[in-house]
Amino acid sequence: MTLLTRTEGAHAPVPGRPRRGPGLSAVPAFVFMALVAGYMLLPVYWLLVSATKSQGDLVSTPGLLLADWHLGENLSALFAQQDGVYARWLLNSLAYAGAGAAIGTLLAAMAGYALAVYRFKGREAVFSVILGGVLVPATALALPLFLLFAEVDATNTFWSVFLPSVVSPFSVYLARIFAAASIPEEVIEAARIDGAGEWTIFRTIALRMMSPALVTVFLFQFVVIWNNFLLPLIMLQDERLYPVTLGLFTWQSQTSRVPELQTLTLVGALVSVVPIVLTFLLLQRYWRAGLAAGAVKS
Amino acid sequence: MAVRNRGSVARRGSAGGVVLILAALSACGGGQDEDDRTASAACEPASGKVTLDYWSWVPGMQKAVDLWNSQNPDVQVKLKSTPAGNVGTYQNLSNALKAAKAPDLSQIEYDSLASFRLKGGLKDIAQCAGIPDAAPKFADWTWSQVDFGAGGKDGVWAVPQDTGPMALYYRKDVFDKLGLAAPTTWEEYEAAARKIQAAKKGQYITHFSQTDPNWFTGLLWQNKAPMFEREGDRWKVTVDRPESRKVADYWQKLIDDKLVATDLQGFSPALYKAWNDGEVVTWISAAWGYSTIRDNAKSTSGKWAVAPMPQWEKGGQQAGNWGGSTTAVLTGSKYPAEAAKFALWLNTDAKALEILNREGGLYPAARTGADLPALKQPVDFYGKQKIFDVFAEASQNVDTDFTWGPTMTDTYRFLSDGTAKATGGGSTLAEVLKATASQSVESLRKQSLDVTD
Amino acid sequence: MTTTRTPATTPRRRTLAPFAFLAPFLIPFVLFTLVPVGYAFWQSLHRTERTGGTFGRTETVFAGFEQYADVVSEPFFVDSLVRVALFGLVQIPVMLALALALALLLDSAVARLKRFFRLVYFVPYGIPGVVAALMWAFLYDPQLSPVVGLLRSAHLDVDLLGPGAVLFSIGNVVTWTYTGYNMLIMYAALQAVPADLSEAARVDGAGAWTIALRIKVPVIRPALVLTGVFSLIGTFQLFTEPQVFRAISTSVTSTYTPNLAAYSLASSDRYSEAAALSVLLAVATFALSFLFLRFTARRQG
Repeated sequence: MTLLTRTEGAHAPVPGRPRRGPGLSAVPAFVFMALVAGYMLLPVYWLLVSATKSQGDLVSTPGLLLADWHLGENLSALFAQQDGVYARWLLNSLAYAGAGAAIGTLLAAMAGYALAVYRFKGREAVFSVILGGVLVPATALALPLFLLFAEVDATNTFWSVFLPSVVSPFSVYLARIFAAASIPEEVIEAARIDGAGEWTIFRTIALRMMSPALVTVFLFQFVVIWNNFLLPLIMLQDERLYPVTLGLFTWQSQTSRVPELQTLTLVGALVSVVPIVLTFLLLQRYWRAGLAAGAVKS
Repeated sequence: MAVRNRGSVARRGSAGGVVLILAALSACGGGQDEDDRTASAACEPASGKVTLDYWSWVPGMQKAVDLWNSQNPDVQVKLKSTPAGNVGTYQNLSNALKAAKAPDLSQIEYDSLASFRLKGGLKDIAQCAGIPDAAPKFADWTWSQVDFGAGGKDGVWAVPQDTGPMALYYRKDVFDKLGLAAPTTWEEYEAAARKIQAAKKGQYITHFSQTDPNWFTGLLWQNKAPMFEREGDRWKVTVDRPESRKVADYWQKLIDDKLVATDLQGFSPALYKAWNDGEVVTWISAAWGYSTIRDNAKSTSGKWAVAPMPQWEKGGQQAGNWGGSTTAVLTGSKYPAEAAKFALWLNTDAKALEILNREGGLYPAARTGADLPALKQPVDFYGKQKIFDVFAEASQNVDTDFTWGPTMTDTYRFLSDGTAKATGGGSTLAEVLKATASQSVESLRKQSLDVTD
Repeated sequence: MTTTRTPATTPRRRTLAPFAFLAPFLIPFVLFTLVPVGYAFWQSLHRTERTGGTFGRTETVFAGFEQYADVVSEPFFVDSLVRVALFGLVQIPVMLALALALALLLDSAVARLKRFFRLVYFVPYGIPGVVAALMWAFLYDPQLSPVVGLLRSAHLDVDLLGPGAVLFSIGNVVTWTYTGYNMLIMYAALQAVPADLSEAARVDGAGAWTIALRIKVPVIRPALVLTGVFSLIGTFQLFTEPQVFRAISTSVTSTYTPNLAAYSLASSDRYSEAAALSVLLAVATFALSFLFLRFTARRQG
C-alpha cells in the first residue's frame, strides 16, 4: 500500500499560471466537452421535462418534449403530500449529510494528519486496517449495524443513521495523502520552536493548509451520505426520520397502487438534486479561496 | 420535542460504546430463542391505556386507523407507513424480529405468512376474543391461509385483509372489431392471441413479465397446482407437477410463437404506454388491478371490460388469486388481545372496509365486503360494466388448498431468475419449474427443514 | 530541536499527540466498522439448526467454514465473479480514459466555461441511485426511449435491456455516474502540477498533447492509480446499479453480481451464507487491489 502514499505530484498548487499554448485547437475540444456534457445532462433533462407533466401526460406524451405545464401544481402537491413530509425529508438529508460530512471530514483530517506527520510505532498497521475498511461493502455492514444498534435500543433514531455515516476510511486515506503533500515538515518544526502546542499547530496551520483538499473530502462524503439508502432503509421505521432518498423510494414502491405518486416521485427527485448542485457551487468558491490560501503558504 | 429526544439518545449513544461491543459478543454467544414461539398462549386483555404499533403499506390506511383511534381512546394505534413487503418491509420486519424490536401488528401477504411463522414472528391469536367465531366472516380460502389449512387445530396466525381474485381484463373494442368474444378457455385465448397478432404488427394479447413471479403463481393456483405440501413436520416441494407443467407448457408455446410481449415488465411505464397505444390488449390480473389500468391507461377509458379467467376445462369455473394480505399480530406484542381486536375490526367493520377499498383499492377478504356500495356500482372506465360482480364470483372459485412454502422469497427468486432465462430464449418454462423445485428443496434444507422427495 | 522553555513535556506530548489525533476517528471506526465486520465474520461461521418440527425452535450452531464451502459451490458464485471481472476489464479503462481526457481539457488553456463543465460532469455523481434508475429506465426502455427510437429508425434493432446488451447498459450508467467523480480527483492532482514543468517543455517546443501526455500524466500517476484501485473496488462491490436494473430489465438475475447475491441471500434469511459471501468478496477485492498495485508499481520501475 505504500505506493498509494507516494504523492510527489501533489504539491501546493500554483495559481494563475499562464496557460496559453499552441497546438490543441479550441473548437474540437469545446465540441467534445459539450458532447460529454450533453451525455451527462440528457437524463437530467428528461427529469426536468417529466417534472412539469401531469400524471396522464407522463406516459402518453413523448418523454423529451414538453406537454402541458404542470410544474407549479406538481410542486405544491409535492410539499402538501402527507402534511409536508417531503420538506422534512430534505431537512433530514441535509442534517445527515451536512453535519455528518462536516464531522467526518474533521475526524478524517485529524487522523490523516496524525498518520502523515508523526512517526510512531504501529503507524502503518493502523493505516492498513483503516484502508481495509474501504474494502468492506456497505451492504455487508448494514445488517450487523442494525442488530448492534438494536442491542442498545437505538434503532429508528437519528443517531442510528448519523453515527455510522460519520466514519469514512476513504476520507482518512485522502486526508493523509493531502496532509503529506501540503504540509512541509519545516513549517511544523518552526511552529514547535515558536512554542506552539501540537493541537494549536494542527488547528492554525495544518487545517488551513489542508483546507482545499478537505473541501474535496467533504464534498465526496456529503454526496455518499446523501445518496446512502440501504442503511436508513434498514435502520428507520419512522417516516419523519427518513432521508429524501428513502422517502422517494417509498413513494416509488407504492406507485403501482397510487399512480399519482409517480409524478411526486419525479418532482421530488428533481428538487432533491438542487441541494447537491448548490453544495457544489458553494464549495467551488471555497475551493478557489482554498487553493489561493494554500499558495500563500508556499 | 425532537431536540430533547436527540439529547437523550446522544447520551445513550456515547455511553453505548462499550455496551455495543459487549452486545456484539453476547449476541454471538448462541441462539436467539423466544420462549413463546409455538405455545398457543392465552389471550387476556390488558388493563389501562394501550398503544399498538402497526406497519402497513396500504395507501390511506391512516384514515382507517384514525377512525379506530377516535372510537377506542384506550387502544391507540400508531401507524407506520412502509415500503411494500418485498421491497423492504419484510426484510425490516425480519431484522426487527431478530432484534426483538418488531411492532405489535404488521401487514403480511398470504405468501409470506409461512415464512414469518417459521421465523417465530407470528403470534397465535386463536384464543383471542372474537377470533374463534371469525372464520365464517371471510372467504373460505383466505381463512384456510391464516389457519394453515388445519381448521383451527394448528392455531390462527393472522386476520385476512384483502384478496386478489383474478379475472381477464380485455380491450372489448379490439376484440369486437376482430369479431372475437371474451375467451372462456385457454384454447380460445391462444386462438385470440394469434388473431390479434395477425391483425396488426406489434400488437400482443398480453405481456409476459418475469418480475411478477407471484402472477405466474396465480396461474398455477387456478390449475390447482400448489407449490408446496405440508405433512406434519415435513415439507414437500410440488412446484414441478403435471398441473403446473401444463400451465408452463401453454405459456411457453405463446412465448415461442411470439404471441406475448416478453420485453415489458409488470407495472412499468413501458407497459402503460403499450396499454395506451393499444399494443397490449389483455391483462389477466387481480381485482385490485382495475385501478392500475384505469389510472395508467387513461386514454383508453371506456374500452376495457372484465370477464372470468379463461378455463382449462370447458365450462370450468376455477379462478386464481394474485396477492392479497393479512393483518398479523407479531410475537413481541404485549397486547395480543387488543391487537387481535383491532385486526378483526379493521377487516370486518363496514366503515373500515369502505375506507380501505376507496383509499387503498383493496378488494376485501370479508364476505360482507362484497356488499360495499362501491363494489356494486358500474365502473365508467370499463364501459359502465359492474366489474366487481365478476371478481365476487371469482373469489368464491379460488381453490382453498393452495399452500405456500416457508421460503417463498427464495422460490420466487428462483422462479423469476429462471423466467428471465426463458424469455431470453435460453431455457423453457418447464425447465424453470424443474430448476425452481430442486433449488427450493435445497433452500428448505438450508433452513434445516425436513423435506420429502 | 525542541524549545528550551518546555524541555520535559514536549517529547511526551509528541508521542501522545498522534494517538490523540487518531482516537476521535478510531473509536467510531472500531464501533461502526470493525465490530460489525467481526460480527459478520462470526455469523459466517454459524448455521441455523431447528428442533421441534417445522415451526419449532431454532438454534445457532458453530459450523466452521461450511457456509463458505456452500457458497463457493453455488453456480452463481463463479458466474457473478466472472461477470464483474469482465465488466471491470471494459468499463474501468473507458471511464478512466474519459475522466482523464476531461480533466486534462479542463486543466488546459483551450477549455471555456470551465466552472460550468466541472459542475455538469459532477452532477450525475450527486444523483441518488433510486433517482438515476428512473431516468435510465426511461432512456433504455424499448417502448419509450428516444435513443432506441433513433437507432431503430436507422434500422438498428437493439434491445438495450436484453441479455446481450444489459451489461453494457449497466456499464454506461456506472460510467455516467462516476466519470465526473474520477475527473475531479484527477483535476485536483493536475492543479498541483508545477507550472514551470509545462513551461519548460513548452520552451523546448513541445505541443499541448505532448505536454499533457508526457509531462502531466506521469506526474499525476499516483492519482490515476488511486482512481484505478477504487474503481476496481467499486466494480467488485457493484450493487446499486444492477439492483435498480432488476426493476426494468428481464435480464438481470438476483445473483447478477456477488454483492447482489449476498443481498438476495440476506433477504431470504440466509444470513450466514450472505456473511460468508461478503467476507469472500472482501478478501478477493483485497487480493486484486494488491495485485493491481504491485503491477502498477513494477511498471513504474
